[in-house]
Amino acid sequence: MKRLIQLTVNGQAHDLVVTPVGTLLDVLRDDLGLTGAKRGCDLGACGACTVILDGRPVNSCLTLAVEADGSDVATIEGVAAPGRLHPVQEAFAVHGAVQCGFCTPGMVLVTKSLLDECPEPEDRQIREALSGNLCRCTGYVKVLDAVRAAARRLRAREGVR
Amino acid sequence: MGDYAVVGKSLPRVDAAEKLTGAARYTADVRLPGMLRGKILRSPLPHARIVSIDTTRAERLRGVHAVIMGRDTAGLRVAFVDTPKYPADEPPFALDRVRYIGDEVAAVAAIDEETAREALSLIRVEYEPLPAVFTAADALRPEAPLIHEFDYPGKTIWEDWGARGRPAGDPVPRTSNVAARTAVAFGDVDAGFAAASHVREDRFETVPVAHAPMEPHAAVAWFDPSGKLSMHVSSMGIFYKRFVLAKALGVPISQVRIHKSYVGGAFGGKIDVFPYEVGAALLARKSGRPVLIELSREESLTATRMDFHANVRVKTGVDRDGLITAQDIQVIVDTGAYRGSGPVVVFLCYSYNIPVYRVPALRYEGLAVYTNNPVKGPKRGHGAPFIRFAVDSHMDMLAEDLGIDMVELMRRNARDRGEVMPTSGDTLRSCGLKDALAAAARDGQWAARRRRTDWRSSERYRRGVGMSACSMFSGSPYYPFGSAAVIKLHDDGGATLFAGTVEMGQGSETTLSQIAAEELGVPLDDIRIVSGDTELTPIEFGSFLSGGAFVTGKAVRLAAADAKRQLFEMAARLLEADVRDLEARDKRISVQGAPHRSLTYAEIIALSVKHASGDPIIGKGSVKSVPDAELHPSLSTARGRWTEAYGFAAQLAEVEVDTWTGTVEVRRLVTYHDCGFPLNPQVVEGQIEGCVSMALGQTLQERIDLRQGQVFNPDFLGYRLPITHDMPAMVSGMIHSDEPYGPFGAKEVGEGAVSGVMAAVANAVYDAIGVRITSLPITPAKVMAGLDRARGGRG
Repeated sequence: MKRLIQLTVNGQAHDLVVTPVGTLLDVLRDDLGLTGAKRGCDLGACGACTVILDGRPVNSCLTLAVEADGSDVATIEGVAAPGRLHPVQEAFAVHGAVQCGFCTPGMVLVTKSLLDECPEPEDRQIREALSGNLCRCTGYVKVLDAVRAAARRLRAREGVR
Repeated sequence: MGDYAVVGKSLPRVDAAEKLTGAARYTADVRLPGMLRGKILRSPLPHARIVSIDTTRAERLRGVHAVIMGRDTAGLRVAFVDTPKYPADEPPFALDRVRYIGDEVAAVAAIDEETAREALSLIRVEYEPLPAVFTAADALRPEAPLIHEFDYPGKTIWEDWGARGRPAGDPVPRTSNVAARTAVAFGDVDAGFAAASHVREDRFETVPVAHAPMEPHAAVAWFDPSGKLSMHVSSMGIFYKRFVLAKALGVPISQVRIHKSYVGGAFGGKIDVFPYEVGAALLARKSGRPVLIELSREESLTATRMDFHANVRVKTGVDRDGLITAQDIQVIVDTGAYRGSGPVVVFLCYSYNIPVYRVPALRYEGLAVYTNNPVKGPKRGHGAPFIRFAVDSHMDMLAEDLGIDMVELMRRNARDRGEVMPTSGDTLRSCGLKDALAAAARDGQWAARRRRTDWRSSERYRRGVGMSACSMFSGSPYYPFGSAAVIKLHDDGGATLFAGTVEMGQGSETTLSQIAAEELGVPLDDIRIVSGDTELTPIEFGSFLSGGAFVTGKAVRLAAADAKRQLFEMAARLLEADVRDLEARDKRISVQGAPHRSLTYAEIIALSVKHASGDPIIGKGSVKSVPDAELHPSLSTARGRWTEAYGFAAQLAEVEVDTWTGTVEVRRLVTYHDCGFPLNPQVVEGQIEGCVSMALGQTLQERIDLRQGQVFNPDFLGYRLPITHDMPAMVSGMIHSDEPYGPFGAKEVGEGAVSGVMAAVANAVYDAIGVRITSLPITPAKVMAGLDRARGGRG
């Protein structure tokens, strides 16, 4: 019944015993104690459980753990070094994009992933990228401000290099 | 106002880093050794008698540690309202009947979710279906089945706070499905209508919508070896939750501790004490292990609380100048299978409406009616969205009848500072309503756009603007009736603030820390806040009825002032100076005119410990939410003081209607909110933007699809929340009215701006296409039907 899988999570390799119905979200939250990925709907409709799977943002509640076998997973806990914030996280803090915080990890990961791929997104692209991440607190106004600011910041940093 | 160093500044939130790194712990993130998972068995029927429940097979299943049901609750009933007139009516687990689809019947705790789910399937319940009703109108018919056959009078939760009790006795038979009634009358209503030069009457309807915080409800419970209960809960006020939980479990308050959790949004939907919370505690007691109950999104949407179905009738008489001479309002809400907040909402539909316009004579009736639908509770604005939708749509129609511009009509009737509210006696010590109206009209280019076609894009796409206004309390006399705060100064002059607030997104940890820093004269970084724990913090009002910043903020300011007074007194002693000659700057107290005679805060604190019997300086402050109020006001007559300050907002919507498809696009939403003084403008803007977004959802797209008591869209695929693409350009401005009773002049901001959006959009749609929509949501189908009628009328 149970299966042995291997996952690399935030750079650390894990051997895990999972059930065939267990999701990646279950494994992260219950087996690895990484509760930054949130269970908001269990249906892939809210984006609160977003993690980066082999470089792409996915709803971890819709990803079976066995499907992720051998994959590389990045979660919110691994975005920045301990005690530090990634420029995307910093922009969210400065621009007031965080309220209750439940959607925040998913928003940050999707933003990071967008800006990794597309450093100069148009507004339409930002809205599209975040259209699968629900937020009930902010009305998205300050989230969009933060993403624009993060893009500027990251570009400036690239320029310096 | 510009001379503050910390308040009034858009400083980043103190909880941001934790939330941005995944470190912030919400209730469902709590992991304890040996923790079990709890699941609830719910009624599949809208109304039925329980003939029998057989749990033996579930109990025998391997991995199951406890099963509970109604008989484990000692016949207790809990409710949001529990007064002599409206005794608690909701058993945490069904005793003999179920009254809605989702009503709690039993609960199990098992080693994991899968086992718990399997155990639920092994519980056998035999039901005898009963006739059910699903609308308030049907429930009010004389032949309707009684949803509650008895009231159960007895000791109410308020009794130890001085509420009159009714002796526990035999159940009192009920004769109708009216769960609560509020009736208010003042002035000579008949004479007012007789004197009016114009009278009109209109009807409006709103449908249930969901709070839908991103965090589904959850609870963790465990007992320590001495028998004390500890819990993490999704709450909006830990002391209220502890109070009701202790009552529900029949244990002293000091035996219950709520531990801190961040709360992932609430919007009114997490105030109540819920059966799953009582269930978690009972399962933990029975199993001897910690129990986590995490509701699914479906349970959270359908079986906690939702907003009301409301029918509103408004009749108004006006004189030639458009001044209101008399008003007659009736509100009927479907409150669902239990009272929920029904008695409160029919009171609030009066109380949130009356501060906006001057009404010399009023007849108001509010009825909350039992049905076999899910239970209704407070949702952001709590009645204000539907009463303001009705009244300001109606005002827009009156304005057209009279040939008076809507903003001018609103301005003529709007209340001013200094006015005293009828029945409550509340005084508007600050009132920026007219300033808000003027600012919203200016920024929304009202004069250039209203009733004009020259700025429209085409015949197909028509544009219009609409306006509405609203009002909201700043805390009320409701348990625990006040807040206290403690500030402990540290060796280096930094401080820890102990305040019972629950951080649920509103930014209370940040704004309260800012208040403490400002008053103490230290930077925000020097403040650390301990919150959300009933053992570590003094009693706190809670973050509902929009009293968080206003009530608790005042207590924090007093605590900081107390600590500062002690610092000054110690400094005066040490510097051998008169305390009145001292001044503080940059965490240093010095003698005016003699800057060399000075000590740092750190030095004073250290010397205080040395010289004052170890006193490290601890400040304390407390305040009542409404100092003049004995207890809560009468919900049925609306008499009694209710709040110290009202917030106001004016909201303008600019819409574009596609006349081919009926789609309404809100292009721009301008809000001016009179919040007194913004303690943190960025946090205030965030509250306004959140209100507007939630309100636009309710206005244009959100609707719980209830059919025969069953929710047909119990998830985020069927119940569509606004997404990034749906958001219009927002202008979120603040009116500084400097509330004299508020901390630094602040008053409410978290709820007000939700309530003017509906009428603003409906009025803008009328301005664009001449179609009046009187029920929410404003769907393309309704718009097309209206356009067809208009065309037919012309033809």
